Amino acid sequence: MSLFSSLSVSASGMAAQRSRAELLVENMANAETTRTPDGGPYRRKDVVFESQQVTSPFSSVLESEMEAATTTGVTVSDVVVDQRDPEKRYMPGHPDADKDGYVSFPRINPAEDMVDLVDTSRNYESNVSAITAVKDMIQQSINLLT
Amino acid sequence: MVDSVSQDLEKYMDLVSTRQKLVASNIANVDTPGYRAQDIDFQSEFQRLAADEQPEVVEVPELKIKNDGNDVSIDRESRLLGENALRFRLASALLKDKFSLIKQAIQGDKS
Repeated sequence: MSLFSSLSVSASGMAAQRSRAELLVENMANAETTRTPDGGPYRRKDVVFESQQVTSPFSSVLESEMEAATTTGVTVSDVVVDQRDPEKRYMPGHPDADKDGYVSFPRINPAEDMVDLVDTSRNYESNVSAITAVKDMIQQSINLLT
Repeated sequence: MVDSVSQDLEKYMDLVSTRQKLVASNIANVDTPGYRAQDIDFQSEFQRLAADEQPEVVEVPELKIKNDGNDVSIDRESRLLGENALRFRLASALLKDKFSLIKQAIQGDKS
């Protein structure tokens, strides 16, 4: 059964990288957002990953039957919000300007988010390659029967 | 049911899939802070598995640890991913050959 649990591990990696990509895209979309439900400008978000034991209902039944080696997947354990002070820009005509004419903008560096996004995308690809390799191995085991 | 070579091949394929699972874990955790790459010592574990023991998972020594305490090397994992796939392909081809010999013996000269 160990080959099938590798698929779950890689799938957890894909899910984690996908959530990271979602947040990075959100950051870039909100690079100029000065209003949020919590008040103040938008703040940059990023994820913290944590390793996690992968189980499925099917495998838990099987594990009681078979000694299973540990399978370490990954999960998003936390979303951290950037606590740096917002960037002040002098725009007296802006509706969100303070009494001195400064507007608080999110402290977002597009280069930082783009680099992280490329990293995320490559890691996603690595997980897909792992799934493809494992899938081929399973297919070969099935071919033994024909 | 079959000869000892086939049984060894079966254990070999088992071990390769265990290793492939660890590679998948390492790739999934490439960005997890504090995660250390895991592997098995292939040579010695094959001896142990031949004696019906479970493989022992160890942390890979001498990998460069990044700032977040993670030491997964994506190059190493990609290499192992490909290597394991090829090892498995070889073993399954050999095993299939064994099976086809048995099949021929069953069918006599009809095939």
